[in-house]
Amino acid sequence: MPTLTIDGKTVHAEHGTFLLAACRKAGIDVPTLCEHPAVEPYGGCRLCVVDVTRPEWDGWCKMVVACLFPVEDGIVVHTRSQRVLDTRKVVLDLLLARCPETPLIRDLAATYGIATTSYVKNPVPTDCILCGLCTRVCDTMGMSAISSVDRGAGREIAPPFRGPPPACIGCLACAEICPTGFIKAESGLRKRRIWEKDFDMLRCPECGRSHITVAQADFFAGRGGVPRSYFETCDVCKRAALAATATRLGGPPATPAR
Amino acid sequence: MSEHACVDFKPVDAILSRYPREEPSLIQVLQDVQRAYNYLPCDVLTRVAGELGVPLAKVFSVATFYKAFALTPQGRTIIKVCTGTACHIRGAPQLIEEVQRRLGIGPGGTTEDMAFTLQTVNCVGACAMAPVVIVGEKYVGAAKATTLATHLVQGGGE
Repeated sequence: MPTLTIDGKTVHAEHGTFLLAACRKAGIDVPTLCEHPAVEPYGGCRLCVVDVTRPEWDGWCKMVVACLFPVEDGIVVHTRSQRVLDTRKVVLDLLLARCPETPLIRDLAATYGIATTSYVKNPVPTDCILCGLCTRVCDTMGMSAISSVDRGAGREIAPPFRGPPPACIGCLACAEICPTGFIKAESGLRKRRIWEKDFDMLRCPECGRSHITVAQADFFAGRGGVPRSYFETCDVCKRAALAATATRLGGPPATPAR
Repeated sequence: MSEHACVDFKPVDAILSRYPREEPSLIQVLQDVQRAYNYLPCDVLTRVAGELGVPLAKVFSVATFYKAFALTPQGRTIIKVCTGTACHIRGAPQLIEEVQRRLGIGPGGTTEDMAFTLQTVNCVGACAMAPVVIVGEKYVGAAKATTLATHLVQGGGE
């Protein structure tokens, strides 16, 4: 088990994990924007930068992104050195120039003492911080309906040909994971609309609540293993049915056996 | 996607038959498609995505990332004006103006007869020849606005 020092604290980290997890284990807050437990680390936002050194390096240290740096035995990590704080300030300053009206970025920048950006403000303010969470969660879902489009200053998140994405099943994972609420979706009893694509909702045969889209049920059933009817009933009714079955069978023991 | 609905799929099918049907073939296939069609028609991209088993969104991402790919029909001859530092100082803006005046197209534009497309590039790595204009395959070094017209021939000339 690698043992490292983070801001003076000794931390035992799990083999094969990254520095960010070790920092959190030590109770040290490292800011992140593109990190999420549902997706692989990405190293996109550059906010989790930390300084890494070793006693034998004679004071020399290197700056790494904590979310992608594998833990090593004996490293000494500084998460709040002046260099680290200055670097995060530049990142936040740039993000604030891109998203001058986004509360998440404004608040985070404010904690680093930045009230307004020192760069030229984006003439077309956007809430998209290009963290890539939406495209990565879409990949994880197995759809890959949206992706990063163009490059440089014109880069954006968009479906193919900037039209309604053919592969989208309307699961809303992208809208749910979006940290700034940039991805908009409308859900009603019968219809759902996201990325300019309309979906029919599936209504639970038990309670009538519309809980997923027809396209979602088709996709989940198409993966095989589980019949489509399983996805038609909503989670609440499924739990109720399970509870009823458990009660009929005598229910769980009132007190755990000692 | 209906804009270029009547696209001929024969060239792309011939291209696809030359490569393994897998994701790593993507860029080579797109390069060949760009050469064959002079742009990447959206229906062809959909075909490529399906045949290579790559999500269409990923194909679109790659197609928009590289400057070598175009999603709109390009002229038969592409005029590239280098706007790197050396070329900029030695008169690239005047060269762009000259092309604009002669052909009536701005950077990224294509003439109505599909003969020429004007592009600006950041640096072609030939700073000693600045300012550089590339007409088709021909590199014109020390380009001058006054003599540029003689180089604006179809295919780039000799």
